[in-house]
Amino acid sequence: MNTTELIAEYREFSPRINRIGARDFLLFVEDLTAVFDGFKAVDIGAWGVKRNELRVVIGPNGAGKTTLCDLVSGKTRPTTGTVFFEGDDITNELEADIALRGIGRKFQTPRVYDSLTTFENMELALPGSRKVRRFFGRSASSAENEKIVQILERVRLKDDRHTEAKHLSHGQRQWLAISMLILSSPKLLLVDEPAAGLTDLETELTAELLLELKDEHTVIVIEHDMDFVRQLDSKVTVLNEGRILAEGDINELTANEEVIEAYLGR
Amino acid sequence: MFRDKPNHVRCVWALFLFGLIGIPALYFSGTISIDTVNMLGRYLAFAIAAIGLDLIWGYCGVLSLCQALFFALGGYAMGMYLAHHGGPEGIVDKDGWKLPACLFVVYPYEVGEAPGDAMVPWFWKPFFSLPLTVLLGMALPGVVAAVIGYFGFRSRVRGVYFAILTQAITVAGWLVFCMNNMKLCGTNGLTRFNTIAGFELSSHGVKFGLYLLTLVCLIGVFCFCRFLVSTRLGRVLVAVRDDETNLRFFGYKPYMFKMFVFALAAALGGLGGMLYTPQMGIITPEYMTAKWSILFVIWVAVGGRGTLSGAVLGALGVNLVYNFLTTSWPEAWPFVQGLLFVGVVLLFPKGIAGLLDLIRFKRLAKRNVEA
Amino acid sequence: MRHSLAFFMAVATGWMLSQPVAAADSSADTANDTALLEQMAKLASDDAALRKQVLFDLAKSGDSRLEAFLENYRSGSVYLWNGQIVVCTETEEDEDFNELAPLTHPLTGEPVLGEDGNQAKPDILDLEDMSPDRAGRLAARSALFLLKLSSPDRESRLVAVKKSGTPPYNAESIPFLTDMAENDPDEKIQFTARESLLLIRLGTDVPLGQAQERWAAAGQLAGMKSLRALPVLEELLRDGGFSKHGQAAREQCENAVASINSHQSFVNWVGYVFQGLSLGSILIIMALGLAITFGLMGVINMAHGELMMVGAFTTYVIQQLFVNHLPEGLFNWYYVVALPSAFLAAAFVGWLIELAVVRHLYRRPLESLLATWGVSILLIQSARLIFGDNIGVNSPTWLVGSAEVMQDVNLPYNRLFIITLCALCVAMIYTLINRTKLGLRMRATMQNRDMADSLGVNTRRIDSYTFAFGSGLAGLAGYALTLIGGVTPDMGQNYIVESFLVVVTGGVGELLGVICSGLGLGVATKVIEPMQFGDFTVEAIWAKVFVLACVVAFIQFKPAGLFPPKGRLADV
Repeated sequence: MNTTELIAEYREFSPRINRIGARDFLLFVEDLTAVFDGFKAVDIGAWGVKRNELRVVIGPNGAGKTTLCDLVSGKTRPTTGTVFFEGDDITNELEADIALRGIGRKFQTPRVYDSLTTFENMELALPGSRKVRRFFGRSASSAENEKIVQILERVRLKDDRHTEAKHLSHGQRQWLAISMLILSSPKLLLVDEPAAGLTDLETELTAELLLELKDEHTVIVIEHDMDFVRQLDSKVTVLNEGRILAEGDINELTANEEVIEAYLGR
Repeated sequence: MFRDKPNHVRCVWALFLFGLIGIPALYFSGTISIDTVNMLGRYLAFAIAAIGLDLIWGYCGVLSLCQALFFALGGYAMGMYLAHHGGPEGIVDKDGWKLPACLFVVYPYEVGEAPGDAMVPWFWKPFFSLPLTVLLGMALPGVVAAVIGYFGFRSRVRGVYFAILTQAITVAGWLVFCMNNMKLCGTNGLTRFNTIAGFELSSHGVKFGLYLLTLVCLIGVFCFCRFLVSTRLGRVLVAVRDDETNLRFFGYKPYMFKMFVFALAAALGGLGGMLYTPQMGIITPEYMTAKWSILFVIWVAVGGRGTLSGAVLGALGVNLVYNFLTTSWPEAWPFVQGLLFVGVVLLFPKGIAGLLDLIRFKRLAKRNVEA
Repeated sequence: MRHSLAFFMAVATGWMLSQPVAAADSSADTANDTALLEQMAKLASDDAALRKQVLFDLAKSGDSRLEAFLENYRSGSVYLWNGQIVVCTETEEDEDFNELAPLTHPLTGEPVLGEDGNQAKPDILDLEDMSPDRAGRLAARSALFLLKLSSPDRESRLVAVKKSGTPPYNAESIPFLTDMAENDPDEKIQFTARESLLLIRLGTDVPLGQAQERWAAAGQLAGMKSLRALPVLEELLRDGGFSKHGQAAREQCENAVASINSHQSFVNWVGYVFQGLSLGSILIIMALGLAITFGLMGVINMAHGELMMVGAFTTYVIQQLFVNHLPEGLFNWYYVVALPSAFLAAAFVGWLIELAVVRHLYRRPLESLLATWGVSILLIQSARLIFGDNIGVNSPTWLVGSAEVMQDVNLPYNRLFIITLCALCVAMIYTLINRTKLGLRMRATMQNRDMADSLGVNTRRIDSYTFAFGSGLAGLAGYALTLIGGVTPDMGQNYIVESFLVVVTGGVGELLGVICSGLGLGVATKVIEPMQFGDFTVEAIWAKVFVLACVVAFIQFKPAGLFPPKGRLADV
């Protein structure tokens, strides 16, 4: 599908731009560029993700994958272009407001709070806990408590829930970061390299987790571990030098000459 | 009995035992003079301001070099109240307000004004009443801090930059308060105090009372802050300190938390200043200089950053050493002070509280091995 | 020449000094002296007109030794003794209560020797009194004034020419001034003489009918952009009786005032900008050192101001060495020697600080603030114990005075020197960082320590060099400050906050940013200072507060300074 067609399709579906049609595209970017000192890190004409889709973004080093995440989540302001979420323009909103709209994000290196325990880390991510009166209570309600324990059990962190995060292993920290994301229950999850530095077994569990999420959430996974991408078995977007190179099934793409060239170099 | 208790519990008990029982006992038995009690009272006031600083620096990770400014603002608020009820010198202005004695001496007459034309400035008037003074003495620094914080934190001025920014603001405040035509008595400062709420400031009983009041305030502030950091808010603050960027992606607005804590710290600074002024008998712009703003930081650093008991320990400990040395060997104090700062930063980054923790930890470990 | 003249003056007023320099000069002027003495002898004449003429003739010679003589003449201390002119300022009494007069030479002030080879002390009654009458005294005073107008020394001539233009006017000076307006070798003096003549014309009341020339002088003065005419004209206009001179005269004067005023404000602005530049230069030198230690190394060095103090005290020590151990003629050289000394001394102290303290604090900027604050307290107290609280550093004579680059625009040499020094420092740093191998290693270390390490750069050594270099620059700032400010142990405290602001405003690690913000802050402070809003003059303190507020506001919009790092590095 080329750019014009995609924009046309989006405009048809987007309630704000064209007030008819289903809100099929959860996230949509248009004419998005990010320029650092003359270097174009991202240059995308149009690109979108539909509801309850699991989309994998791959690409060689420096392709602009993380920058794309930054642009969507508000960490970096785009040089030009617009980011739509559920049909609303969120390009110039604060990170926190974007997060409250329902875009959650996990960074490449797992960012958890070392001096807090696993449980306290999870508590931070509880949805609806940003209200003032909630800050002066001592801990979460029993229902929330149960939910946290349930998620921690799934990632085998239940027994470590009162351990300070600095004592966790790298894999456990990855999972804690993902668990926090799941707990906060956003509409769109941006997951940056969830399998980086994990053992094969851990990778498998991570893939399972992400596939489970697909039923209720929309997920964008950034990855360059091909085996992991195969396990996810979803639609893949290939970025190269900030542009979208190709889109489609993983098997199709691995046969695509251009993609091979981009990965292996000329 | 307190050997294995956490620092904060021991701190409160120590304050209770020494401050509420030990010191009064020593005083009434005649072992220590009222001047010593008065001095301790002043150091306790420093400790209150230091707790405020520890809250913003230790728990929120924001190094503020403004605490001296807030301390002085509180001090000036109380100073104005005391000056209103101070010495008899001066005149009564056209509106029937008695010009405070200290302002009378350095009143900046404009060209063509006769000494009789002096007026009590409007901003002096609210400080005639004690309740209003107490309220403003905490609210003013709080509001100033909230404004600084709103602009500073919203545009994400961080770390070193914020420190320098606050230092610059403190210097600006100092310059303004030094000016005679601000009608705040210039470099002379506010003085000629007589009574507080009708009691003679010079009487021993009042001095002792002020000491007790300061102590009670300190214990109250300590427990309040202790409660605050033990709630979920405390954990969010730690998260703000450790990785504020990540927190934004969970829908938090770190600047709101920083602003709140900064304003709270400022209000505590103001409270400290308000308790300090009547015990010191004078408040001057000197307390806004760069030196003082860093001194507060040093006390917290020496005591142990991020542990409220450390702030109390540091403020009391450093000042007691200062007091001891300046009376016995004044030239040496700057050297001791300088070496203390260098030494603490290099050798005990966690301060005295960290050292105590370490000792306790080792003892526990030893006991476990024996068992 | 100026020195020997000073000696003569000192001698003439009664100081008993016998310097070989003085002797040599006096023998060279012997022929001249004889002529002068002959003239002086005529003062004994009974002819009042001749006496007056003699006095003016003496004044024309411009010999500054005559100053003392004329003073003595006026006060009646000049006598004729055996047909010789002598001076006696104070008499003594011998045992027999005879009043004896120790005699001195009228020109040189040396004792006049009697037959026994000692100072001649004849009885006062043996001297012929030459005391002038009232008219004579007045003439002597005029002569004294005219003498200065004829002085060979440019400065004293200039002062006299200026003085002749202020009331009360000296009518005798007009021919002198007319002559000088044409023939003086110095253009500035020619100009000033013309100005003074016009001022005299403007200020002298003449009968109403003949006032044309008087008011024309106002226009001519305006054409000369004479600042000295401004108070005179304003005074005239303020005077209630001015209306009698008519509307035309008033208009002429008012136009002149307006035109001179615009010149005045131009001159003032140039002055403010220049002061701002020199303040900015000092800030830049300070901030360059900080930009290196703070911008490149991430260390907040609160002792930077004290390193500046070290530089200033080194300059003081070098000065004292020159004063105490080297001949006086070499004094001016101390400031040249002090330049490298101040740099090296501060660099050495900085190197020690790095070795003992800062080394352990890379990557812990906030803690480096505390530790270096401790160091600064140590340094201040040490300086206080060693040197005391207030010491004086005298500028070398070649930096005293100012250059008049335009009419009425005087740029003091010391400030020009500071600006030049600043430019040199900038050039030096630019070359060092961008053009040398050491600079390359410095940049590599600052950007990626581990990488540089693995490439074989000795990062430890680079760190200490860099820190020492930054400290040395602070020393230079202190060296420059001795020219314009007091030297005290805590002088650094006054500049440290502002220097940090310069670095923060400029953007960390950017040379250009530091220069822009340093000059910007300096000029802004000095330009705002004299501004007026209605009754409210800004003054130094509000200017400072205002600039601080501007910086705070500026950081709002550009949290990373004028030239922020961009791209991926920005968030680190």
